[in-house]
Amino acid sequence: MKKSFSFPIIFMIVITAFFTFILAFLNYSTADKIALNQEIDLSRKILYIFDILPESDNPKEIVAVFQDRIESTPYGDHEIFIYKDEAGEIQGYAVPVNGPGLWGSVEGYIGISSDYSTVLGLDFISHSETPGLGGRISEDDYKGQFRGLDLSDVVDDNYIIYRPAPGGNVDAIAGATLTSKSVSKLINEDLGHFFREGGNR
Amino acid sequence: MDNPKKIFKMGLWEDNPVLVQIIGICSALAVTNLMMNSLIMGIGLIFVTGLSSFTVSSIRTFTPKHIRMMVQVLIIAAYVIIVDIFLKAYMPEMSKALGPYVGLIITNCIIMGRAEAYAQQNPPIPSFLDGVASGMGYTLVLLLIAFFRELFGFGTVFGIKVLGDWWTPWTIMIMPPAAFFLLAVAIWVSKTIQDKEKDEKKGQVVNS
Repeated sequence: MKKSFSFPIIFMIVITAFFTFILAFLNYSTADKIALNQEIDLSRKILYIFDILPESDNPKEIVAVFQDRIESTPYGDHEIFIYKDEAGEIQGYAVPVNGPGLWGSVEGYIGISSDYSTVLGLDFISHSETPGLGGRISEDDYKGQFRGLDLSDVVDDNYIIYRPAPGGNVDAIAGATLTSKSVSKLINEDLGHFFREGGNR
Repeated sequence: MDNPKKIFKMGLWEDNPVLVQIIGICSALAVTNLMMNSLIMGIGLIFVTGLSSFTVSSIRTFTPKHIRMMVQVLIIAAYVIIVDIFLKAYMPEMSKALGPYVGLIITNCIIMGRAEAYAQQNPPIPSFLDGVASGMGYTLVLLLIAFFRELFGFGTVFGIKVLGDWWTPWTIMIMPPAAFFLLAVAIWVSKTIQDKEKDEKKGQVVNS
């Protein structure tokens, strides 16, 4: 083939336009689905935190319960989710907890009862810890421990203390000391902040 | 046209991308701590290698030779983004587990290697098969390594508990170093077998 100047340029433009068009179309056609996935994921986690996750894993049911019981208000850059029972009484708050983990930032929510005395539950929205080690913070064995923790006689923002330290209330993950420490640190900091902002403590 | 049997034999064994060409090992080290991750990564790679080889091959007669690399990268990138979008939309859990590695399929040397070494000179159908064969070669090695890492590291296979509670998980198996050791062992074993095969072949030629 003779080397021409303009042909390669035109060729490249045409082929780029072609593939861009395909990708744009795919992106457009799946955007709703992806947004819905993220919404369901968040709803499921918030409901898990308040321990009112429906038994069935049907997305529609999850979203229905979420819309029925949960309200949100802005809180800094994030949102606080408020859980109300059937009578409209506030049962608890899901407070965003964010901070650096070992490898990347960890984002999650911790549920606090309406009188600020008990932890209702904990879940993580995103993290990038090592699967099987630090990644186990998102497994039930770890986050299940937080359900029902008593916060009434906590001093100096030390809400989460790992056993066997004095006053310890949860177990860290063996082999993932740094991730465990980061998680307790970010929870303690953000909870302390929330309680001071809330002003009821 | 090469016959499909030969193409698959080359991709899976004699010219296996990971074991013989030692390419694509970065991701082979990264995603092999769970078999499920390896499997999905492998399927993604088979899809991308097969189709990009096919596309590169079908437009090879029009592509000006000096910009062929740009064209290849563009094609590969497009397919990788398709895989990424697909995982996000239909398998959100898996998309999270694989994280950045899906995007990194694009830098996997196997795809560009096959496009450059095979698809550029051969018709579309054999190129497609060649891509699929290389992808499968990669996937099988990944699954092999992941099998041992997951078994010893968690006591599970595909998330199903195989070893009982008496088993103490080897934490090192989940960490990157284990992948290095296992990959080296796999290359060692396969190399030994392949050398033997070659010797036998030579012997046959002499005898006949």
